[in-house]
Amino acid sequence: MKWLLGILGLMVLLAGGPVWAEDGITDKEIVIGAGLDLTGAVANWGVNIKAGMEAMFNRANAAGGVHGRKIRLIAYDHVYQPPKAVTNAKRLVERDKVFVMMGHLGTPTTKAVMDYLQERKVPNIFPATLASIWTTSGKWHVGDLATYADQTGLIVDYLVKERKIRKIASFYQDDEYGLDGHLAGKARLKHQHDLAYVAEVDYKRADIDFSSQAAKLKESGAEAVILQAVYREPPRLAEQCAAIGYKPLFIGPSPIVLAKTIELGGKHVEGLMGVEVYPLPTDSGAFLDQYRADMAKHFPGLPIDTTNLYGYQKAAVFVEALQRAGKNLTRDTVLKAIESIKDWDPGWGMKYTYGGDNRRGMSNAGRFVVVKDGKWAKAGDWVELKEVGRK
Amino acid sequence: MTEILTSQVVSGLATGCVYALIALGFVLIFKATDVVNFAQGEFVMASGFMSYTLLIGFGIPYGLVLVATIVLSGFMGVVLERIVVRPIMDAPIFSIVIATIGASIVLRSSAGIVYGYDVLPLPTIFSKDPVRIGFVQFTAMDVGVIASSLAIMVVLYLFFRLTKTGTAMRATAQSQTAARLMGVSVSRIFSLTWAISAAIGGVAGVLIAPIIYLDPNLGFIGVKAFAGAILGGFGSIPGAIVGGMLLGVIENLSGYFFNAGIKQVSTYILLILVLVVRPAGLFGAAPVRRV
Repeated sequence: MKWLLGILGLMVLLAGGPVWAEDGITDKEIVIGAGLDLTGAVANWGVNIKAGMEAMFNRANAAGGVHGRKIRLIAYDHVYQPPKAVTNAKRLVERDKVFVMMGHLGTPTTKAVMDYLQERKVPNIFPATLASIWTTSGKWHVGDLATYADQTGLIVDYLVKERKIRKIASFYQDDEYGLDGHLAGKARLKHQHDLAYVAEVDYKRADIDFSSQAAKLKESGAEAVILQAVYREPPRLAEQCAAIGYKPLFIGPSPIVLAKTIELGGKHVEGLMGVEVYPLPTDSGAFLDQYRADMAKHFPGLPIDTTNLYGYQKAAVFVEALQRAGKNLTRDTVLKAIESIKDWDPGWGMKYTYGGDNRRGMSNAGRFVVVKDGKWAKAGDWVELKEVGRK
Repeated sequence: MTEILTSQVVSGLATGCVYALIALGFVLIFKATDVVNFAQGEFVMASGFMSYTLLIGFGIPYGLVLVATIVLSGFMGVVLERIVVRPIMDAPIFSIVIATIGASIVLRSSAGIVYGYDVLPLPTIFSKDPVRIGFVQFTAMDVGVIASSLAIMVVLYLFFRLTKTGTAMRATAQSQTAARLMGVSVSRIFSLTWAISAAIGGVAGVLIAPIIYLDPNLGFIGVKAFAGAILGGFGSIPGAIVGGMLLGVIENLSGYFFNAGIKQVSTYILLILVLVVRPAGLFGAAPVRRV
């Protein structure tokens, strides 16, 4: 009798669960997860990326959702610490049963959850890190914009060819984030220009004092310093360099291009240059008008800034992919839908293209911006980026 | 080379002075009440936010803000002692220490809830532009921080040496029972000690927040200052000052001669080395055990 009961029980269990449905998907809802830094060293990016994504999802949900499903984002704070990122990822995947990881912030933190997501076959969609690793790690990882490696290649070419600067130093975060651009810059200098960094100066995540780095940079005599840093470091470094009478050209990839850098640095960051990989939030275009309206509606307390635009554009591409995936939504169909995106312009004159092995959506665009009168301003036109390797 | 080295030492001293002030807060409370107050760093953070609110929110002039912040910070110390420490004064020391850690978490999270976790620039009266005297290059900020810290230390020294209350505080530190027998109100002295420690932490906050920016995690600087206090010999006031300053300089120089990794651990390497050679710290008296 007992075995009969056992079999009956098993049958009930099997029949009870929606066997073929994907985690995080119901008829009414799509639950997606994100690990962000909401309280730590790069919280400005984290808080704003979350807001930007939510502003877009709110728009989609207000229009009735995507194929009748509302999007719900569950975000946890990893404080820009890899161990916490792993705990959060497990919580999101195993307890909250999220459909995909979306906009996961930080290179070291996302690298920490990379293997786990792959193992659980959870797509890592548009992580909020432009390290080149996300464009080369296969099916489960999908990057979006020009990588730090590509951007640094652009910076090196600009410094050497246009500015005729041959003494270039690198100031980089000593982890997977800083190394991506640092190594690519080193390779670019060597292979293209037969040069080498005159100084390679590192710092640790969440460091707050750079006086010794400033001293080393000054001694190297570098005329330009490439910053593989975020927003706390450039103003503080510039200040500490100025304190010892050293004023090189500071220039770096996109993570330094946000209003906070200027707010913290004031006059010390005047002339600081950065690379933009998507338009400035104050530019014109239908998509940008929509973004500004959505931010004002849903997050009136937050500024119109590159940080939340970054999250907003990620969410926009994701919503487009959900539309294309149709009613039958699975992890496979959403990845296929992303791959089907070709020359898709959300309405700002720049196009996303995926397909096959291509895991970078808009990698071919970069533009220099500069801090002028306390604001980020255009310092050049969009150029096509070349793929720059780290070796 | 010498030029760069001297400027490294000067800016190291400036950071070191702030460590010294925080370390002083640790030591004063420890000497008087045998409690290690792990919320000391939070006094630094809280005062930073207080002055931010007064300066930016209310537009009060800098001098007034400075005084108000120090007074408010001292008051916060008294309140913390009353509601967190005094009710469990008879509990084992370990419990009290945990209670102060709890208080620090509450303070940090409260700051996060009120102000958010973003970094904020705190204005300062000291200029960050370079000044050059001979071959030494520094900023008015460095000198301002060093001078203000030294001034606070001198005032404290005079207070402990010359005033009746100061003497009563020293007496309490030596023996609570004897002090009580001499008519000293020990509980009043405890409150006062917490007030002074918190006020010093407040000064440290106003000095350091404009340099390393203001955010709820600023209090973690207390961990380094604590190492400075141990380096100097926990319980020794000159030790806390020298330990803190030494730490600032060593950090800068190790970063200059090695890399960021070594800079990060230099504090602790130095700490271990000193403790191996002199377990009581640089200025600490070796513990005497009566048989």
